[in-house]
Amino acid sequence: MVKDAFPILSREVNGHRLVYLDNAATTQKPQVVIDAMANFYSTSNANVHRAVHTLAGEATEGYEACRVNLKSRYNAPRAIITSGTTEAINLVAHAWGRTNLSKGDVVVLTEMEHHSDIVPWQMLCDNIGIELRYVPVQDGELDMDAFAVAIEGASLVCVVHTSNVLGVRNPVEEIISMAHKGGIRVLLDAAQAVPHEMIDFMELGADFMAFSAHKMCGPTGIGALLVNEETFAEMEPFMGGGDMIETVTLEGSTYQSDEHRFEAGTPRIAEAIGWTAALNWLGEQDLSAHHERMISAARSVSDSLLERGITVYSRLGDGDAAVVSFTHPTIHPEDFARLLDAQGIAVRTGHHCAQPLMARLGITGTIRASFYLYNDQADADALIAGVDRVLEAMA
Amino acid sequence: MSWSSAIQGLIEEFQDIDSQFEKLEILMDFADEVVPLPVDEWNESNLVKGCQSIAHIEVELVDEVVTIKAAADARMVEGLQGILTIAVNGNSPDDLLALTPDFAEEMGLLNTLTPSRSNGFRTMFDMVQNRVKELTK
Repeated sequence: MVKDAFPILSREVNGHRLVYLDNAATTQKPQVVIDAMANFYSTSNANVHRAVHTLAGEATEGYEACRVNLKSRYNAPRAIITSGTTEAINLVAHAWGRTNLSKGDVVVLTEMEHHSDIVPWQMLCDNIGIELRYVPVQDGELDMDAFAVAIEGASLVCVVHTSNVLGVRNPVEEIISMAHKGGIRVLLDAAQAVPHEMIDFMELGADFMAFSAHKMCGPTGIGALLVNEETFAEMEPFMGGGDMIETVTLEGSTYQSDEHRFEAGTPRIAEAIGWTAALNWLGEQDLSAHHERMISAARSVSDSLLERGITVYSRLGDGDAAVVSFTHPTIHPEDFARLLDAQGIAVRTGHHCAQPLMARLGITGTIRASFYLYNDQADADALIAGVDRVLEAMA
Repeated sequence: MSWSSAIQGLIEEFQDIDSQFEKLEILMDFADEVVPLPVDEWNESNLVKGCQSIAHIEVELVDEVVTIKAAADARMVEGLQGILTIAVNGNSPDDLLALTPDFAEEMGLLNTLTPSRSNGFRTMFDMVQNRVKELTK
């Protein structure tokens, strides 16, 4: 059983078996990840690079193995290690945006974006006067006719691969193709995508792809920005110090030429080692088979909620993530989620860092149950039983 | 600290309940204790700031006695407002200003809630005390 690999899933919450359905926020960690990080601190802890002692060598090897693993798994020429998706997107805004964009240049976003893919661009807009265009969402999907209009004359398209609110997988292949025909760079926010499907970065053709370890069984505090060679050459460092330098004199500095030029300061060494363990563990999993089971469980939840007069916003198509966002006509989402938690069921409520999407949907927040590969039909059934108890209590 | 009989009653109501679900149900039942603040009286000055839900509390002094009217969009927040109503309504300004929100700890109420809601309760309590201070200046 996959569940057995995750020690936290055997605990109880409020006297009930934990049913963890907040995976779009963060996933649980298998024992191998916990062990890898503990083992690093127990046996090999040291700072990476430059030192010649054995521990530093082991730490460096462990840290760099994460990069090698990322490049191999996703077929990416460049993998910059960041603190997560948010920092990766901010890195694009600073390291590429400030060098390659100027006043009046257009960046296209969508109403479906996470705040992490909106705010950095709004800040750049304030700083250098770029123009932002937003592609609207219609019936829970991107309006691709509006997208075609929005990208005219644009320099960069930033789009979420899979929505953290709706689970909708956007037509990223079509988006990249349309953008590249116009010579437009594409940044994919793949935070919710990589946990659910294998992506070949070069085959997909995006210029940047950002994601986080913690949404795919890895540790918090680490993520990556994948970049193709041509775009990598257009980026300039924006944080100075630590391992990003080549030489420093009082007159000036020169910088490393590889990914290290964007990794100033002591990096996240234990986290990189934990992430490698997670990537190796995921490599042994059949993501497609897990996805089929998860989407089936999510659909059963969605159907049951609809039968109970609850509004469901998720599409749950074959390629979508197993995310069920819903609202009850009278019960406040926080009350709903707190009563579920009292039964050991963890779901998330609120705007899910996507307030523009909430505005488009005409709501302020949803209750979101998001599945990952250790969830099964029993979890879906427990959720619906929990929902029924809430409905009974609030009747 | 010794509490008023009203507050002591609240503490006893929650003290012996083990089930989290049952505690929350009882909390929501306290929403019935709220003296409702009509929507047309909701304004910026009676808005509870920092609360994740929409919540309003209007504080009045009638014949030197504290009275609150309240409203919220979440039933559990209304329940907290109901508990606040029982704790503060009928107090003199001096007694109200001498009160601390620690009774909620003794009720075992705050650890039943998310940090945002337990902070919200303290925020509402502080708001009532600050308003009473203004009214008695």
